[in-house]
Amino acid sequence: MKNFRHQFLLCLVLLLSLGAVARAATSATAEELKAAAAKAPATADLQQGDPGGSLTGTISDVPVSDTKAGITIADVANQVGQNKIGINFTWTLITGFLVMFMQAGFAMVESGLCRVKNANHTYMMNFTVYACGLFAYWIIGFAIQMGGAAGNGNLGGLQPLSSEHMLNLFGTNWGIFGQQGMFLTGHTYDVGVMVLFLFQMVFMDTALTIVTGAAAERWKFLTFCVSSVMMGAFTYPIFANWAWGGGWLAQLGVNAGIGKGYCDFAGSGVVHAVGGLTGLAVALIIGPRIGKFNRDGSSNAIIGHDISAVLIGCFILAFGWFGFNPGSTLGASGAGCLRIGSIAVNTMLAGCLGTFGAMLYMWIIKGKPDASMAGNGLLAGLVAITAPSGFVDTIGAAIIGLVAGVLVCLSVAFIEHNLKVDDPVGAISVHGTCGLWGVLSVGLFADGKSNYGGSWNGVTGSVTGLFYGDANQLVAQLIGISTLIGFVFGFSFVLNWVLDIILGQRVSAESEVAGLDLPEMGQLGYPEFVFRTEPDFMLVAERAEVA
Amino acid sequence: MAANKQQGRWLGAFLIGITLACAGILGFSSGLGKVALLVGVVFLAGSLFKFMAIKPLEGKVALGAQPAAMKLIGVLVVVGGWCAATFGVHLTSSVGGRMTLAIVGLLISLAGICIVLPAACNKNAIWKA
Repeated sequence: MKNFRHQFLLCLVLLLSLGAVARAATSATAEELKAAAAKAPATADLQQGDPGGSLTGTISDVPVSDTKAGITIADVANQVGQNKIGINFTWTLITGFLVMFMQAGFAMVESGLCRVKNANHTYMMNFTVYACGLFAYWIIGFAIQMGGAAGNGNLGGLQPLSSEHMLNLFGTNWGIFGQQGMFLTGHTYDVGVMVLFLFQMVFMDTALTIVTGAAAERWKFLTFCVSSVMMGAFTYPIFANWAWGGGWLAQLGVNAGIGKGYCDFAGSGVVHAVGGLTGLAVALIIGPRIGKFNRDGSSNAIIGHDISAVLIGCFILAFGWFGFNPGSTLGASGAGCLRIGSIAVNTMLAGCLGTFGAMLYMWIIKGKPDASMAGNGLLAGLVAITAPSGFVDTIGAAIIGLVAGVLVCLSVAFIEHNLKVDDPVGAISVHGTCGLWGVLSVGLFADGKSNYGGSWNGVTGSVTGLFYGDANQLVAQLIGISTLIGFVFGFSFVLNWVLDIILGQRVSAESEVAGLDLPEMGQLGYPEFVFRTEPDFMLVAERAEVA
Repeated sequence: MAANKQQGRWLGAFLIGITLACAGILGFSSGLGKVALLVGVVFLAGSLFKFMAIKPLEGKVALGAQPAAMKLIGVLVVVGGWCAATFGVHLTSSVGGRMTLAIVGLLISLAGICIVLPAACNKNAIWKA
């Protein structure tokens, strides 16, 4: 009993001492803050200018909540929080601006690969798709995609986006579509939501502009506008919700124990495969350009008018990709965001190896280092690394890019010669085929070293692929690919089929032969150019019996 | 007929219609929301009807008739493969079993995309004539 009393007294003394120390420390910190505030540069000093930068950005720049009490630890902590969110907002917005500029790259690549008589029309489609997509996304698309995506700490929590429509299947709730954010009004009139909207919008618009390449030189402008609005409002947002907005694909890990759920870091699947597969659907419905295929099924090369525009456009796209992939951390401060350097290097490397893959393939097989295919190889590598960029090391990135560079050449040949689908710019192969390869490669090459706050899609741990010991992740990726092909393609095909019935997808044969600039746009892209006569195989079309 | 004033007019009506319809969905709990939805649907239906009416003015297109039944079968095969892959994962909890079912579903969808639909869309292609 005596021992117990001694021990109790000892503990009491210890606790009181600790409390006193803590109080003293707090008091000391408060005193230190006040001392630091007192030492802050005076107005008179600042009026002299600060060429060295040592006087600007001090404790006097921290807002004080109570002027009588002076600066407190709470004020400093609040400022730290503001700084974190401010860094992340700035990062996300600037990378979003980079992605927006990719539209210029797409316009140059697609127009350069088309004939001069369609230049204005192709540029105009790439220009207008921005307006169509943004408008549709604002009125409903964003709400469907991100309406239930609350919880991202990098952007302040995004709590207004808190309503996901759920479907109960197999005794589990699966997210189907979001329900908050139409017109960005009400609770979604929020600083974090606005940043997320801008970033997600430019991604969506990238997907839309891919389709214009696959359907170039014969797509009726009116139908293109309506189709783009529908894609921005429904096709893209639905799949993006399933993958990024807390939908059922992302929940495969939590609900069914399949890896970390479907993982697509920056959108090989969500953006590129959606765009490429929709492009395939439209290209199938719209048919090949006049003169593309001969009666025996062989194809003719229809050469673009400006390879310099194509290659400069590819460089603009590669530049924009530094927004696409590193920006997908949605921040530069906080959970795993410092991987942005690794993500950017992976992006460069995959593009580099993609260029080599395509260029060498063409050089070895065809005898020349084809410029347009080298450009497509760069884009193929970039598309493929988009999904795995946040989960792989540089060796994985290089292999993914190299495979994509070769794959794009094989795919272009397969789509043209076997499927008899006319894709003037190779958009289906670059974005569709290589986008699917990118999604698959996450399940193979993810190295298990990434750490974005300790979990992904709500499952603890890092994303790990088959080559690093987790076959489960590959299953999730295969289900994602199956959904892209089965749902996204199927939905796009039916939607554009209906539009074909109502509006007609294709311009008249007369307009097509004349070139779409005058009939569809009312103005030639290059009015001072003298058009050369079309080769013989193109003139067959004028004699062809058309529907 | 190429791009013309009628197309522009009815595209404008379509955009107004989809905007009002979405505004109506957003404010469906209020009376004004229901009215907006109704007016939006009327605009949408009207614009689609007019699109259909002016479609024949486009002139002849260089595209053979694509058999609807065959296209529909192609779409069903594509979607069927997806359903097999997606719902198949609930039939077994083994990784190998799930992967096999996902690959089988994927192959079914690919058959629809690479075999059935191109055959349907190119069946009467003008380049074959």
